[in-house]
Amino acid sequence: RAPGSGPMGMMYSGITQAREFDDPPGLYEKTEYLLREWVTMYHSPKAGKDSTNAFSLFVHQMNLQGILKTDELITRFFRLSTEMCVDLSYRVLIDQSIKSATVTRAKCFHTLDAYVRLIALLVKHSGDNNNTVTKVNLLNKVLGIVTGVLLQDQELRGVDFQQLPYHRIFIMLFLELSAPESVLEAISPQILTAFCNTLYYLRPQKAPGFAYAWLELVSHRVFLGRVLALSPAQKGWTMYAQLLVSLFKFLAPFLRNVELAAPIQLLYKGTLRVLLVLLHDFPEFLCDYHYGFCDVIAPNCIQMRNLILSAFPRNMRLPDPFTPNLKVDLLPEITQAPRILANFNTLIQPASFKKDLDSYIKTRSPVTFLSELRTSLQVSSEPGMRYNIPLINALVLYVGTQAIAYIQNKGNTPNMSTITHSSHMDIFQNLAVDSDTEGRYLFLNAIANQLRYPNSHTHYFSCTLLYLFAEANTEAIQEQITRVLLERLIVNRPHPWGLLITFIELIKNQNFKFWNHEFVRCAPEIEKLFESVARSCMHPKPS
Amino acid sequence: GVAPLGPLALSKECIHHIRILEAAQRHMPHPSDSERLRQYLPRNPVPTPSYYPNGLNHCDTVEFFQRLSTETLFFVFYYMEGTKAQYLAAKALKKQSWRFHTKYMMWFQRHEEPKTITDEYEQGTYIYFDYEKWGQRKKEGFTFEYRYLEDRDLN
Repeated sequence: RAPGSGPMGMMYSGITQAREFDDPPGLYEKTEYLLREWVTMYHSPKAGKDSTNAFSLFVHQMNLQGILKTDELITRFFRLSTEMCVDLSYRVLIDQSIKSATVTRAKCFHTLDAYVRLIALLVKHSGDNNNTVTKVNLLNKVLGIVTGVLLQDQELRGVDFQQLPYHRIFIMLFLELSAPESVLEAISPQILTAFCNTLYYLRPQKAPGFAYAWLELVSHRVFLGRVLALSPAQKGWTMYAQLLVSLFKFLAPFLRNVELAAPIQLLYKGTLRVLLVLLHDFPEFLCDYHYGFCDVIAPNCIQMRNLILSAFPRNMRLPDPFTPNLKVDLLPEITQAPRILANFNTLIQPASFKKDLDSYIKTRSPVTFLSELRTSLQVSSEPGMRYNIPLINALVLYVGTQAIAYIQNKGNTPNMSTITHSSHMDIFQNLAVDSDTEGRYLFLNAIANQLRYPNSHTHYFSCTLLYLFAEANTEAIQEQITRVLLERLIVNRPHPWGLLITFIELIKNQNFKFWNHEFVRCAPEIEKLFESVARSCMHPKPS
Repeated sequence: GVAPLGPLALSKECIHHIRILEAAQRHMPHPSDSERLRQYLPRNPVPTPSYYPNGLNHCDTVEFFQRLSTETLFFVFYYMEGTKAQYLAAKALKKQSWRFHTKYMMWFQRHEEPKTITDEYEQGTYIYFDYEKWGQRKKEGFTFEYRYLEDRDLN
């Protein structure tokens, strides 16, 4: 995106200006003097409530020093002040004579908190009271400068980089600007956007040295509450989803390998905690964005995905999957489509493939479309990364939603007999039969990602998976279907409702002859496992 | 864990990220980094035995604070400035008929019915809590001017 002149433009220019060093002579000294003055005034008992008295005196001093003359000088003042606060923090942090973390922190916060208050007051008082543009622009500018200083600091110091000063500046500034004051409430959506953009700019991919502080910021209760509960029209949801996606993307290459380095384990544990909080407090958020999240989470991260797929709207009552003779088709929710806040149609690329796909769905020809399907999804010949996973996910969901619409247009509802013998099922059966193990695993996972709370997608894909099992021409397909379901159920809770429903149906319904298959008895521990699952499904504990 | 797609050699960038994360892990964010400075009772995390209590449930309610001794409430009020605990302590004190004097910054309670009550003040014998000597004191013939009475509604 090209930087414009709006708030984003201000942030970009702030980031760039953090790398300018050609300051006019004397500015460094002036800034140092002013910052020192301000820190003293901020801590003086005469500062007044919220430092109001100190601030009016200080603005006078800034004027005397000519800092407020031009925007350019103000920008430089902020850049130099940020650098000074950071330098001071480094001096304190490496001071061997301070033995206690509490003292170190108190020393750093002494200056950092004063600086944050100054930023907050300047933002609040810039321009007229009603001039929100100036305030928002200044905030973005300052956030841009701090971001720029951080990135440069990380680049220069490498492994010696410290997150503390930046972490403190960001969180305290956010808390200051979240105060219940009308001036701030008038610009609260812009404040949120500015902080979300800053955090996106500093995502672990770009600032790995800041990753732990970043996760603290992203999961801070005030930030989370404001972004997800208080932001109007759920604009905050999209921005927050983007932050989580960037975290998942960062973790993906590490999580896909079994050996986890200690620092990754720590970040992973933190991520699980955030997901747990979200599942408990904002399940609708996880519901709405589940598709985008599953697209970037490594296929072997069962629990992480289960946390997302287990989310369901709070007003919904889920029938116990273990209820004997539960009639899923009779649930009223089963006809309603879930909300998917991802444009998965457009993810089906290239356009020519999408065109062929649509044409096949419509006309059920040519058959060559099916035989070429596998090649269309393949991107390399290297084992473990042969397929375009986002494309498989998009294809599966797209074909599924088309199928549901097709069945409903004919006045039917999806069930084990209406879903069969159609162009949609041709595609699915072809993917099941024609793929190699890797491709089929990804394909079946894409289906299992739709097995969630009672809705039309869950129901359709549950029937589809069972149908693929019943109609499989080899035991390998059936074994793989069982594997995908089982591996999502043997992990600790939570387990998505639709997943349990599908698995229970598979082992209970005599038509599937589940117990006659060899893979059920391939190893004593697997056999025991199936028996224990079966026991809990067949004879639920009376509650 | 399982890696159904098999392990994949980490890219150069990923290896660099691990190195940076390892360094960052040596100075993790501290719980106090994201909260206001606690002047008197800074956080001081230490490993405690697992059989020691690890915090209480429902201890952030007025009901809980009303069960605390007045001295505890004064301690919370003076040493935990700007926290929810301070707010709850003030609320509990008010419920026990303590009134805050905004000039002396101390809490007063009537020892007896005031001798005089006018629109501007009341006069009589009061018990107050002296935060410097840290104890309750009695003051006879004290004039409590209402303009120094903190009377905001704590909701």
